[in-house]
Amino acid sequence: MILTGVLLAVLGLGLVGWFAARGRARLLHTGRGTMHSMPGYHGWHVALWIVFPALIAWGAWQAVMPGLVDGAVMADPVAAQLPADAMSRAAILAEAKAVADNPDAVAFNPLANTLAGPVRDAHGRFGLIGALLVAVVAVAGGGWAFTRISANYPARTRVERGVLGLLLVASLMAILTTFGIVASLVFEAGMFFKDVSPIDFLFGTHWSPGSARGDNLGESFGAVPLFWGTIYIGAIIAMIVAIPLGLMSAVYLTQYASPTIRKWLKPMLEILAGIPTVVYGYFAALTVAPIFRDFAASLGMSNPSTESALAAGVVMGVMIIPFVSSMADDALAAVPRAMSDGSLALGATKSETIKKVLLPAALPGIVAGVMLAISRAIGETMIVVMAAGAAANLSANPFASMTTVTYQIVQMLTGDQEFNSPKTLSAFALGLVLFIVTLILNIIALRVVKRFREAYE
Amino acid sequence: MSNASLSNARAGHARWQTPEALRRISRRNAAERRFKLIGLGAIVLSLAFLALLLVIMLKNGLSGLDWSFLTGSDSTDPDVAGVWGAAKGSLLTMLVTLLLSFPMGVLAAIYLEEFAPRSRWIEWVEVSINNLAAVPSIIFGLLGLAVFINTLGMPRSSPLVGGLTLALMTMPVIVISGRNAIKAVPPSIRDAALAIGASKMQTVFHHVLPLALPGILTGTIIGMARALGETAPLLMIGMRAFVVTPPGGITDPSSVLPMQIFLWSDEINSGFVQNTSAAIIVLLVFLLAMNGLAIYLRNKFEVRW
Repeated sequence: MILTGVLLAVLGLGLVGWFAARGRARLLHTGRGTMHSMPGYHGWHVALWIVFPALIAWGAWQAVMPGLVDGAVMADPVAAQLPADAMSRAAILAEAKAVADNPDAVAFNPLANTLAGPVRDAHGRFGLIGALLVAVVAVAGGGWAFTRISANYPARTRVERGVLGLLLVASLMAILTTFGIVASLVFEAGMFFKDVSPIDFLFGTHWSPGSARGDNLGESFGAVPLFWGTIYIGAIIAMIVAIPLGLMSAVYLTQYASPTIRKWLKPMLEILAGIPTVVYGYFAALTVAPIFRDFAASLGMSNPSTESALAAGVVMGVMIIPFVSSMADDALAAVPRAMSDGSLALGATKSETIKKVLLPAALPGIVAGVMLAISRAIGETMIVVMAAGAAANLSANPFASMTTVTYQIVQMLTGDQEFNSPKTLSAFALGLVLFIVTLILNIIALRVVKRFREAYE
Repeated sequence: MSNASLSNARAGHARWQTPEALRRISRRNAAERRFKLIGLGAIVLSLAFLALLLVIMLKNGLSGLDWSFLTGSDSTDPDVAGVWGAAKGSLLTMLVTLLLSFPMGVLAAIYLEEFAPRSRWIEWVEVSINNLAAVPSIIFGLLGLAVFINTLGMPRSSPLVGGLTLALMTMPVIVISGRNAIKAVPPSIRDAALAIGASKMQTVFHHVLPLALPGILTGTIIGMARALGETAPLLMIGMRAFVVTPPGGITDPSSVLPMQIFLWSDEINSGFVQNTSAAIIVLLVFLLAMNGLAIYLRNKFEVRW
């Protein structure tokens, strides 16, 4: 609550500064006639000088305050009773903080209840100091900027420079996110690889983290069955469904359908892409999987499982259809009209032209689209979580239960967990592999698409 | 026309009329029709799957949709369980996502399209935006878990962390659609503004941005719809709390609609089949409304220059 209060106060102060500065600049304006900047820009200049330094001060205070609070609590006489070992000390402190935040809560440890008072006091005291600090910074920044208001002061240029900086920071967020992903994955996966050698992980064929004990950890973390399950479901079964259907619907929509039909069918097809994956997962588990199970039973398989690679793969394929279709659509549209016209002029029928001229010419684009589709399918989570199963099987039987990389990530990180155990850390190693593979697929695909477009321009 | 060429033409005509040639032509025409039918069949099959999915959800869930379901919260009893707690969690999460990703995305798009110098640095930004748009959503969940929860110590299962994670995921979508919308504004608009003495910044914020806004909004709504249906990253940051009372603020533990669907689908009690389908209907109605709004905006404000 302190957070929103201070933020609102800073923004309110900025608003006040804006009006005051604009008013003053207007007075100058009526007196002098010519000014470098419009009064509004003087307003913005002051407002920015109030808000930005204040926000920076606030952020800095947020960073140092927990340390100061801890220090103050430790100095309290009650804290002398705290146990010496750092771990239980931190646990009791955390409990005391929870009690301080929420007066209704009762801590498990009685010491935490008594410590809650000092914690609350320290919080209030340092919160007040922080609020004062922010106020001082805001007033100082605004005051300085306010004294700058004069006819010749280039407020507009200054404001625009500030805004440009803001734009730059916003665009750097993307790099920061990428960096954050890579850093967190590499860091956590590195901790995992301290216990389990990367060779065992990447090439081992036995996956049973539940039974991982002691020093033979490497034997329980062989991820090959997961890679196989992921490829089998996402890159084989799903693509067998998605490529023919997606490609043929793109051909029909671009080559045969009248504009009116296209206008109706294309958005309807896109609805398939807009349905949340959890809905597909539920549908796969509820409807599709039993059908395949009964089918497998009728083929004479003994007790087929409800969770099958086939059910997950087929539903995933259907989900990908609109994606493949729109990629193929783009690829077909990029082929120059003259090529198909030439073929038609020689007397080839439309379908012959499509099969012998258009599709071969669009092939690089289509292949790139399929690669993007695969990268999407192997990163898909909810469908496999709900329909594919947990057993790490290295099998080519589509009716068998199979597990994937994404399924295991979810499995390792939900439920009872202690962070930093090899089991939870393995999720990050799997995530790293997934990230690298999808990254490579995407980069290659985007490059192919780019080159393909250039070739026909 | 001379006699010779006439007879040639007759002979040619006659050559096309031989039974063998006619057979070949009809075979080719049949192949043509077949191909067209296969194409139509592919679309019909895909749409039939969609129809089947919707029909089954409606059949299972429609009877469960009543006022108490829409206003209730999660419960172990399927007859009492409702969807409002999760819906409110979704609402709060989306609010955080929108407040962060929309301004950030639009500002980044403006910078990259209008101000960025052609440098290596900017190329890196572009590459990472394009890649982020294609990174599996579960990876964003791992990022959220490692950074927001384990490093920064934000409250687990809260709409704040969920919204932050989804904002990182949605931002690239907004940047890409924003850039396309800004690119579509013709240069003559900028030239006209610059010619009468507007600064570059004034040109962009007074003229280019308002014209590009419908396109940016369309992209934002589509990105938000995707975020609303997302489950996997939220599973990573533990937004699967069993929430009996709707969350009061963005730091309270909460669940979201897709997560509620996932949790109910795991229940053994068969009463939850109806609840799951009913929650799916609620979610799909939301998504349909958002996508409909996006299409409406696109049709109403799209300008062909």
